[in-house]
Amino acid sequence: MSAGTPGTDDRAAPAPLGVGLLGMKLLILALSMLFVSSIIGYLVIRSRAAAWPPPGMPALPSTLWISTLIIAISSFTMQAAVRAARTNRQGALRAGMLLTTLLGAAFLVSQAFNWFALVAANLTARTNLYGFTFYMLTGLHAAHVVGGLIPLAVVTARAWAGRYSAAAHAGVAYCAVYWHFLAAVWVVMFGILIFA
Amino acid sequence: MPRPVSEGRVATMSSDAVNGAGANPVMGNTLGGDNYLTHGRGLKSWLFTLDHKRIGVMYLVSILSSFLLGGVFALLVRTKLLTPGNSAMMSADQYNQMFTLHGAVMIFLFVIPGIPAALGNFVLPLMLGAKDVAFPRLNLASYYMWVTGAVMALVSMTTGAVDTGWTFYTPYSTTTNTSVIMMVAGVFVLGFSSIFTGLNFVVTIHKLRPAGMSWFKMPLFLWGLYGTAIIQIMATPVLGITLLLLIAERALGVGIFDPALGGDPVLFQHFFWFYSHPAVYIMILPAMGVISELVSVFSRKHIFGYTFIALSSIAIAVISFLVWGHHMFVAGQSNLASMIFSALTFMVAIPSAVKVFNWIATMYKGSIWLATPMVYVLSFLFLFGIGGLTGLFLGALATDVHLHDTYFVVAHFHYVMFGGTVIAFLGGLHYWWPKMFGRMYSDRWGRIAALLIFVGFNTTFFTQFVMGSHGAPRRSYHYLPEFQRYHQLSTLGSYILGIGFVIVAANLIHSLFRGRPAPANPWGGATLEWRTTSPPPHDNFATTPVAGDPYDVEAWRYDRTIGGFVPRAAGDAPAAG
Repeated sequence: MSAGTPGTDDRAAPAPLGVGLLGMKLLILALSMLFVSSIIGYLVIRSRAAAWPPPGMPALPSTLWISTLIIAISSFTMQAAVRAARTNRQGALRAGMLLTTLLGAAFLVSQAFNWFALVAANLTARTNLYGFTFYMLTGLHAAHVVGGLIPLAVVTARAWAGRYSAAAHAGVAYCAVYWHFLAAVWVVMFGILIFA
Repeated sequence: MPRPVSEGRVATMSSDAVNGAGANPVMGNTLGGDNYLTHGRGLKSWLFTLDHKRIGVMYLVSILSSFLLGGVFALLVRTKLLTPGNSAMMSADQYNQMFTLHGAVMIFLFVIPGIPAALGNFVLPLMLGAKDVAFPRLNLASYYMWVTGAVMALVSMTTGAVDTGWTFYTPYSTTTNTSVIMMVAGVFVLGFSSIFTGLNFVVTIHKLRPAGMSWFKMPLFLWGLYGTAIIQIMATPVLGITLLLLIAERALGVGIFDPALGGDPVLFQHFFWFYSHPAVYIMILPAMGVISELVSVFSRKHIFGYTFIALSSIAIAVISFLVWGHHMFVAGQSNLASMIFSALTFMVAIPSAVKVFNWIATMYKGSIWLATPMVYVLSFLFLFGIGGLTGLFLGALATDVHLHDTYFVVAHFHYVMFGGTVIAFLGGLHYWWPKMFGRMYSDRWGRIAALLIFVGFNTTFFTQFVMGSHGAPRRSYHYLPEFQRYHQLSTLGSYILGIGFVIVAANLIHSLFRGRPAPANPWGGATLEWRTTSPPPHDNFATTPVAGDPYDVEAWRYDRTIGGFVPRAAGDAPAAG
């Protein structure tokens, strides 16, 4: 960029797919460390408690199962979108991307209902560590879902504008790597919250 | 002094070496012509640049400013410690803030980003013969994340500077009324900068190596950066969550680290050191990489034990994740855990020693050229040797109980971080300076400054080994009168250090205006960055170079007429094609 204006230098051009995917995988590696250490922290706190949930505290809402179902389905729709992009089926790509984005938003709504249910039962992040760890883990994950919805929406809009082809659909591929990761993290986190 | 000239005939440089040369009479120098410094003018062309060289220079200016700030804090602390009692200069509370800021600024703003972000950014793509890093926009974003984090840290200093020590240990950090949240949030943002720089470097090394450069033909500096980047990517997120929890504990009053509320105070230390121990290898691995480059070039001899040096970087990176508990021998972890951590700690000595022996073997029967960068290399070997070996005292369980939280730890840490990393940084800075700015500094003043720093450093910190082994506690405002002569000697040393740094700065800044124009290859390095002009053009190389042996320094001979090195046979650069 010779005079500070974007686009005058191919440094500003998008990286080739293989380069971008490796970067994406390393980002996933970093995020894995974040989630793994959070979950270990939770387990340490959990192991120190005599009873979990502590006496008089509400159990975790069963609507967490609904969130899990939503994000699991969204992983499939995401994969369907990738397959559609690879074979250049534009209609299926558009539908897959749109469904994934909507399901992502639905997941957040479902999580919000879970939080409201607990707040209504007088359990907030300040009540005790039982409350804090739940809000912290789910909030950390939700923050990353929000961070994923933005590129999902952008890629969906581009898919509807017909910007992707079998040869060039890096945006779809990056979204898929990130989204599958978030779904996997949620399943692990959910299992530990419910069963550990 | 330059190596003797063996042949009298004047060789011309390969076309690679002179491409883009401007009107300047020195071959391979582009000052006055088109180079990355002149390619695009005005502040905006710098602030929005995607050029890794300019980003590297911006990092360099930023981290050196941080170094100056942290250095001033250190000198103030040392000046207070001239006397054992109360001081009119600063209160005990101000003293606590002062050493905390010294540590936090030096660690998070200077040493961690120092070599990778400043020197690494400039050199990495050049060494690969590439045009830039894999993600130039992300690289610029990393820089601005650094700036944001640094500004937050500076703001926290004006609103009640933290007094917790740079480690932010709970429970004090959750109860003190200084602006812990602001400082910690700043460090959190700095972490993002570090992660994305690491990510960028790993992808660059994987994907942008040139033809002819397999993994084991990479310059060793890149192995060092690679190991560093892996740690940055994998350890920094853990610091992120630790700092978030600390913020939550302060802001919400929950007790994650408070046993009265069901939390675990040692959990903070485990999390903190799970990052911060690998982080000291973030600091030292690139320094070892710099030394590996310099020792070969200034011994005029091929590096000895290439594979061992390369793999020991990776070994250090891996083991670094397994030794964090050695910071917690007196924190109440189980004896079994302490024994395991102690044993693993001793294991780090092996790859570190492998490197040192290979560097010494490289020098053996070499033709050692005592230019400024080499003086820093010798300084490094001596100081890092002491720093590394005293680490074994601290890694041993019984002696650590005695030495824990004494000046011995302070001295050990500074021997590794300052005697190791900062000295290597200075060596690297003096080595790549002619490439960065196209000017030679005064070698005489460079060596004088290096010697002053060496003497000042040892005076400052060796006395602290003695004090510490006598039991002098660190971070203490008051101290027993019996330690006063050590403190005074240490403070004297710190002033000598300060003078040394002033000379370094004056010499380098002077060179920017009055220095002799640098040739393309002033030191006779065989890595690719010396095959382009000084300073390099915007796109680094006119034609993509083909990599050969990065340590075939004997293929270059000194040419008196240009004051730099040229390929031995005219037009026959090693593997230049």
